[in-house]
Amino acid sequence: MEKLNLRARFEKSGRAVFISHLDLMRTMQRALKRSRIPVWYTEGFNPHIYLNFPLALSLGVTGRSEYMDFSVTESADFETLRDSLNKKMPEGLRILDIFEPVYENKDVGFADYKIDFYSGVGSKEMLSILEKMLSEDKIEVDKRSKSKGMVKTDIKPHINIISAEPSGVALRVFVRLPAGLKMNINAGVFTEAFADYSKIKFTKICAERTKILCSDGRDFK
Amino acid sequence: MLKDRIEALLLKVKSPSRYIGGELNSVVKDKSKVDVRFAFCFPDSYDVGMSHLGMKILYSLKNKRKNFWCERVFAPWVDFEQLMRENDIPLYALESLDPVKEFDFIGFTIQYELCYTNILNMLDLAGLPVKAEERTDDMPIVVAGGPCVCNPEPLTDFIDLFIIGEGEEVNLELMDLYADMKKRGCSKKEFLEAASGIEGIYVPSFYDVYYNNDSTVRGVVSNNPNAPLIVRKRIIKDLDKVFYPESFVVPYCEIVHDRAVVEVLRGCIRGCRFCQAGFIYRPFREKSSDTIVKQTKCLCESTGYEEVSLSSLSTSDLSDINDTLTQVAEYTEKENVNLSLPSMRIDKFSGELMEQIQKVRKSGLTFAPEAGTQRLRDVINKNITEEEIMRACRLAFFEGSYTSVKLYFMLGLPTETDDDICGIAELAEKIVDLYYSNPNRPRGKHIKISISCATFVPKPFTPFEFEPQASEEEIKHKQKVLLDSVRSRKRINVSWHKYQVSILEAVLAKGDRRLCDTIYEAWRLGCKFDSWDELYRYDLWQKAFEKTGVDVDFYAHRARPYDEIMPWQHLDYLVSKEFLVRENQKAREGKTTPNCRENCSGCGVSKGIGGACFGKTKSQSEV
Repeated sequence: MEKLNLRARFEKSGRAVFISHLDLMRTMQRALKRSRIPVWYTEGFNPHIYLNFPLALSLGVTGRSEYMDFSVTESADFETLRDSLNKKMPEGLRILDIFEPVYENKDVGFADYKIDFYSGVGSKEMLSILEKMLSEDKIEVDKRSKSKGMVKTDIKPHINIISAEPSGVALRVFVRLPAGLKMNINAGVFTEAFADYSKIKFTKICAERTKILCSDGRDFK
Repeated sequence: MLKDRIEALLLKVKSPSRYIGGELNSVVKDKSKVDVRFAFCFPDSYDVGMSHLGMKILYSLKNKRKNFWCERVFAPWVDFEQLMRENDIPLYALESLDPVKEFDFIGFTIQYELCYTNILNMLDLAGLPVKAEERTDDMPIVVAGGPCVCNPEPLTDFIDLFIIGEGEEVNLELMDLYADMKKRGCSKKEFLEAASGIEGIYVPSFYDVYYNNDSTVRGVVSNNPNAPLIVRKRIIKDLDKVFYPESFVVPYCEIVHDRAVVEVLRGCIRGCRFCQAGFIYRPFREKSSDTIVKQTKCLCESTGYEEVSLSSLSTSDLSDINDTLTQVAEYTEKENVNLSLPSMRIDKFSGELMEQIQKVRKSGLTFAPEAGTQRLRDVINKNITEEEIMRACRLAFFEGSYTSVKLYFMLGLPTETDDDICGIAELAEKIVDLYYSNPNRPRGKHIKISISCATFVPKPFTPFEFEPQASEEEIKHKQKVLLDSVRSRKRINVSWHKYQVSILEAVLAKGDRRLCDTIYEAWRLGCKFDSWDELYRYDLWQKAFEKTGVDVDFYAHRARPYDEIMPWQHLDYLVSKEFLVRENQKAREGKTTPNCRENCSGCGVSKGIGGACFGKTKSQSEV
């Protein structure tokens, strides 16, 4: 049987941000099934639609450019595939484009986030506290380690702030964080570190992952 | 907008996708363009409620009508409930995220007794008085249906009207009536009076109950000229033609039964004497294989589910089961869909059947002998023999290479002795021996038998409604006897349900209106999600019994004479009391009753539907 590996870039927004990673898997499998595109099934005792997500997205974070790999048994026009899939997607999930994968899961190195912090504190004050935190020698957080349980980790060297400025009442931060197999800091680790340091009670934090990059800085695709 | 306030809390709770709607195939309408809004409430968590077929049927049925909008509501889990209360978020419906307080109807489906406190809790979360008499004309009409409303008496304080029997027709009639009367500006009382004229509608406030000195019911009298003395259940005449959903709402999170479900038949021919469903859903009606195949395809395509189940009380009793399965399997195999067949009878288990089940994925094997000896199986009219059980297991082990079997039994059945209990263990031991007698058994694999024991709960509208439930001491003794008689401890695993749960079930199932106060009190003390072991608080229920002067023994542990007026006697489920008495006597004599297909036992249903139950469906659907 012919098997062509494909990668879909998709958006996860609106109510769909509350779909957990495991549930996203099922949701996508069902959408693929409904679309009736010639999707490839694993050939085991219990055949199922093969799906792989190069980088999981945390619950509650919007994804503007996420990736999902699957295979088809006959080649088809990528735009047609995308359109048939989008007709069967639930609210908040949208395939942006489909292509043959260039990089592998292990090539993922960074992710870019846009994070809006809302609180009773003014955006300028939030900004100055953030700047103060970033000027500290260390930014320690509790991180779960596979062997040692919870350990204190300094994330300061890994935080790469691209920009941070007031946006209306919110503080808007663009930040690049390590992602992937070797070192992974998701947006939640950063926002929690800021919340701990600043002691601000945020009323709302809107996080969006805008881009996934390779370790060498090229766009993941 | 509630939406923003809800979303702000969702990351703090378990499985948040349950609380925000937006699932595939959920129906969103423009509220300014509908006449009647119905909040369909399942009084348990989303994961349980979303698995329920009746809700899916009525949801689609109502939404097919342009002027009706039916939405789904579930009981929020305790973590989210707390946040809702702290942040003044009222109970809302998942489609519009509007408070259910603004709806025309709030409708509960009541599937088991242990969800009663959740009904009160949901009404309270909605910001409504839980007692019907305290709700004013500007508040929604609160209705309830489902199997438990065959004895609705313990809930009569809280519900405006009950829907008795099958809902497909009567729900629409009720909503049409409401739409009309709403336009004419009628009062709630006027609506309830008109509604009580619809067959299958029971308005409890139009009835007064009188009691004897010994606390039994003396009589039930209608206090409103519009309310009939006896309320008769509704049934759908032609199941093959009745509305069935073309799509299901597909949840994001995993639910208990996460699959497409095709209902293949309603009712049951068997007449097992403990089984309430077997009596209240009579008569037996089935769908044609064409309809079943069509509905299977349609649902699989609209949902993308990887599993479909052919569901009913006893799927193997479908007339042309083999032909139907072949046709369904032809489709499911091609589409990589797993076919599941719950409710298979041991005596109907065949090589062909097993092959169909195994084609896509091998699921576990579960049989329900219910009792350990032939004598007791005859008493309960289970009508399966030990040979049939062994034959089914032989087939499963020798030809299906199964290595585990789950067996369901009940403890505390009428006339049960220690010998019957030992019989459970003996049967399991025989199955163990059978497994090891197979020279070609899977190498290195041992047999695993799970014996799961429920405590028998006598239920209304069954021949055992007269029977007392066994006491806690008796059940404990039986459990010990069972454990002591199991020899192959490594191969046979015994488990049972908590007795304190079964006793509450018995009290609520056979209770009368005086239990309304108890349920109210229990809820006030904090009882909710009583069917969840981790949240069940029998100590609080005991307090509630005490405070409201309810004697548990009177309801659960007392044998009721044949001539006692049951609290539910003014409801007519077509099965006659004479028949139930007859069956109870036969049980006492250890005599079985043939199934409906073999011989009509005169239960009263055919009189109610105006003709024989069998040999009729075909000609009807041909018309």
